[in-house]
Formats: sequence, structure tokens, C-alpha cells
Amino acid sequence: MIHSGNVRAPDLELATHYAREFYGRRQESNRLWIVPRQAITELDDPDLLKPPFDRSFKRPGGYLIKHKLEAAKARAQEEG
Amino acid sequence: MSTGVRSSNADAARPLAHATRDALAELLLSIADDEFVIGFWDSEWTGIAPILEEDVATSSISQDEIGHARALYELLAELTGDDADRIAFGREPDAYRHAALLNHPRTDWAFSVARRYLYETADAVRLEALSRSSYEPLAGLVAKMRREERYHLMHLDAWLRRLADAGGDARARLAEALTRLWPDAMTIFTPLGGEATLVAEGLLPEPMETLRERWLTQVVPILETLSLPVPSGDERGAPLTDGGRTQRTDDFRWLHGEFTMVARSEEGAAW
Repeated sequence: MIHSGNVRAPDLELATHYAREFYGRRQESNRLWIVPRQAITELDDPDLLKPPFDRSFKRPGGYLIKHKLEAAKARAQEEG
Repeated sequence: MSTGVRSSNADAARPLAHATRDALAELLLSIADDEFVIGFWDSEWTGIAPILEEDVATSSISQDEIGHARALYELLAELTGDDADRIAFGREPDAYRHAALLNHPRTDWAFSVARRYLYETADAVRLEALSRSSYEPLAGLVAKMRREERYHLMHLDAWLRRLADAGGDARARLAEALTRLWPDAMTIFTPLGGEATLVAEGLLPEPMETLRERWLTQVVPILETLSLPVPSGDERGAPLTDGGRTQRTDDFRWLHGEFTMVARSEEGAAW
């Protein structure tokens, strides 16, 4: 589910039509979920979303070792 | 207009008699011109529709119609050995064959909604019949058109109901527009010169008169429920003459000047 964007509309019927026009008329969508703004629960607490410690190990790729890898590759090439 | 519909080999396998071909050409031209002209009229709302979202929707629907016209002009061009661009842009105003309903300018929003609602509901009946045409290239194209027209109808139905329910000025303008447009809306089903041939050979599965009655049977009760104007019994049964698709107005001449402006600026140019 990807947030495509938002439309202004007086009700769900026209919101559906407008969503189709804005996010589907170029055949870029397979399905659209249209939700009224007031039905959205927002979470924007930085303590919950961006904790102060390095939590990069929780990402699928684990700790970032990109720079280490690049250095290793460069070294390997030099050593030929 | 170099891309688009290619006719299947059905017509090559069974060549059409001259009279049939001429009648079919007349049918294709009338539908193509309907789609072409309403597409251009409603594209006049681009930039000035009630809200931004509706602006995009109206413009997109108008483009859809011009796209349908393109496909139909290409089908016609293949049938008659003509060129789709020439048919679309190279004719004088009097040679267009759209219904009198489409001679009117866009006027106000309620007028455009009323006109489009009458057009979409009538077009739906016409296209349903043509999806059963024995002329396979047309039946195939119409099947695709109907998938888009279904949404056009949903959108116009939503607008008709909301203007009717709004009361006040919106409802009054809608009712006034419907009263004015009903007689011209009937002209969508003006019988064609070669219609008997088309019906006999199944290219047009049913006569226009039958389609008109089916359309009225569907649409009149909906408008009655909304307490909107409907044609009287006499008006419903009034015979339709040839003039329904041949009389052109100054409003249409103006539109013709607009939509042919670029094509006329450099005739024969490859864009």
C-alpha cells in the first residue's frame, strides 16, 4: 500500500472518481483505497519514530558496511 | 493519428457491398463526430471547472471522447480509403454529422452536466447495441469504448443527482437546461439514410427508433424520481427527420474554427 496523494471532494463518491482521475488515469494503478481524512490516525512522535540511538542494525541490511566494502574492493584492486 | 485500431480481417474475408459500405460509413461518421464534438465542447472547461479535481476529471473524460473519435475515424478511414486526420480536421462545418444536441456551446456548468448526462445515457444504449454488430471491427472497438463510458456515466450520474438535490440556483439551472436540451437530445437517434441496409445485415442490430425508445424507458423514470423535466408523450413519439444531424449552428462554427486552427495553420504537416 503506497500513499499516492490526496484529493478534495465533498463525499466518497466523488472522491473515488477524483482518485481514479489523479492516480489511475495513466493506468498506473491496479487498485485504489480511498479513505476520508478524519479516518486517518496520525503518529508523528519523534521519540517513537526516530529514537536517538543507532538502530541501523534493525534494517534488513543490518549495520551499514558500505564504506568498509568499498575500501576493501579498492584495496583488492590495488593488490591486483 | 498513425496508431490505433486496425480492422480485423473479417471485412477482407467478406467484402461489403457498396450500399452497405456507404451506410456503414454514415453510421461511423455520426458516432465519431458525436464523440469528437462533445469532447471539444467539454474540454472548454479545462482551467475553469468548479474545483481543481473536477477540472482534471472533466478534461480527462473529454480526452477519452476524443480518443474514441480517433479510433472511429481510423476505422472509417480504412473502410473508405481516406485519412483519419483529414476526416477529423479537414471538413467544412456543414459536413459534420453530430447530433443537434452537440451544436450548443458549453454554457454554464449545469447546462454542460445536463447535456452530458443526456448524451452519456443515450450513447450507452447505442454502444450496447453496436457491441452486437456483425461488423467485427466495430463490435470490437465498441467493447473497449464501453469499458471507459461506464465510468463517464457514473460520473455524470453523480453530478446530475447532486445538482438536483442541491436545490436553489443549481437545480433551477439544471431543470432549465434539460427542458431546453430534450428535443435536441432525441436527435442522437436520428435514423440514418442507409439504416434499413445496416439493420438487415446486422451491422446495426436494431433501428435507431427502437434504441431511442429503450433510452427513454431507462432515463425518463430516473429524471422523474428527481422531479426533473422529461419529454411529454407527444415529444417522445415525434418522428425524427434527417435534419437532426445536418443542421449546424454559429456556435458550432466557432468551435470548428477553434479545433481546426492548428491543423489549418500548416496543412499536410507531419506532427
